[in-house]
Amino acid sequence: MTTPASDSSGLAARQAALVEALTAGRPVPEGIDGFRFEAARLALLRKRAGEVARQWPMLAAAFGDRWKREFSSWAAVRPTEGSLRDGWDLARDLTRRGALPPAAAAELAQREAAWHYDSTAAPRSRRGPALRTAGGATALQVAGRVWLLRRP
Amino acid sequence: MAEQPPSYGVGIGRLPSYGVGIGSRPSYGVGIGWRPEIAGFVEGLPGLRFAEVVAESVHAHGELPTGLQVLLDRGVTIIPHGVRLSLGGAEPVDPARVEHFAAVAERLRAPLISEHIAFVRAGGIEAGHLLPLPRSREAVDAVVANVRRVQAAVPVPIALEPIAALFDWPDDELTEGQFLTEILDRSGAQLLLDVANVYANARNRGTDPAELLDQLPLERIAYVHVAGGAEHQGLYHDTHTDAVPQPVLDLVGALCARHVPPALMLERDGDYPPAAALAADLDAIAKASGYPVIT
Repeated sequence: MTTPASDSSGLAARQAALVEALTAGRPVPEGIDGFRFEAARLALLRKRAGEVARQWPMLAAAFGDRWKREFSSWAAVRPTEGSLRDGWDLARDLTRRGALPPAAAAELAQREAAWHYDSTAAPRSRRGPALRTAGGATALQVAGRVWLLRRP
Repeated sequence: MAEQPPSYGVGIGRLPSYGVGIGSRPSYGVGIGWRPEIAGFVEGLPGLRFAEVVAESVHAHGELPTGLQVLLDRGVTIIPHGVRLSLGGAEPVDPARVEHFAAVAERLRAPLISEHIAFVRAGGIEAGHLLPLPRSREAVDAVVANVRRVQAAVPVPIALEPIAALFDWPDDELTEGQFLTEILDRSGAQLLLDVANVYANARNRGTDPAELLDQLPLERIAYVHVAGGAEHQGLYHDTHTDAVPQPVLDLVGALCARHVPPALMLERDGDYPPAAALAADLDAIAKASGYPVIT
């Protein structure tokens, strides 16, 4: 991204440094109160956790009281791509690690069957039928309708 | 029923000819932020004359959410409130976002739009949050340039909202009052004053919230936000998920003693309480401002 002010004292550079500190674990910009910045960072992660829980209710519910902590530790160095994609990326990560809670498996399998999502761009509806398995759940999508064939 | 206000040319410091406020009415009283989770409650408010909706949550084309269409059909004025334009970003606002905002304003027949004095992304990364600007002349220039880009694309006035921030930048060149007043003067924008933000910032900085009221052009308030918050580890967080605390209501009273704004509204964004608790917050805002209850 090109910006008119490229020196480190310019507004664009200062804003970029702040966002990197907030979302990617970069150092807090000089002169900003560390305690207050950390409070803002944690508040942002809690807010993101709430937004992802609305998009992925079964995933959040499967973690219960541990949801905000689980999501926050995963999201601490990952800037948001929107709550739909954030939840999806987390669910896939958990699946790869074999840590997706069974209660969240059907939700993920159904979405994998209904949508094409390549982890880099917004998910889009699949044109053709699809059979997908995630965390022991299997879902079948035909002509936009989704059937859950197996639960873990 | 707010009539479609006349469009007006945009220029330096030029104000819309029909005065400050939401639209053609002198005042709208107490309103609420419409959210899908509380659509039924909002629809059931007999005295409601205005509400606000998050602009990015409304499709530019296609169907409106049912509850929102019912309000429009009843003549309730709906103001689209943007949260993702990043008016304070060093980069120009994204034309596609501005275009969407304009389309939403048109389909809601909104007499006014609103956004924040903040940035939400930088260097291609989304912060996911409204972030404060350094109070520098360079930041004033950036906001004013972006507000003008929006004004050129949207035919109705814009109101700008100062945000709540847990931290400040070092080396400010301007006080908060100077910073905000200069942005409003140079852009010709109206003010969306969030009383809870004023309270939160003052409490966290250890200053007197009424002091800022005395430094702002209160006559340029289009409408006012009121919201709840909570304290964590000694800092007050503007959560929008708690009841409106008494000190915030007291500040509504202090504002109205100086200048009665044309409209005030409750913002609630999660952990939705039973209807009675929401109604109590709305009634408390009515009481503090002297406007009729809408519940």
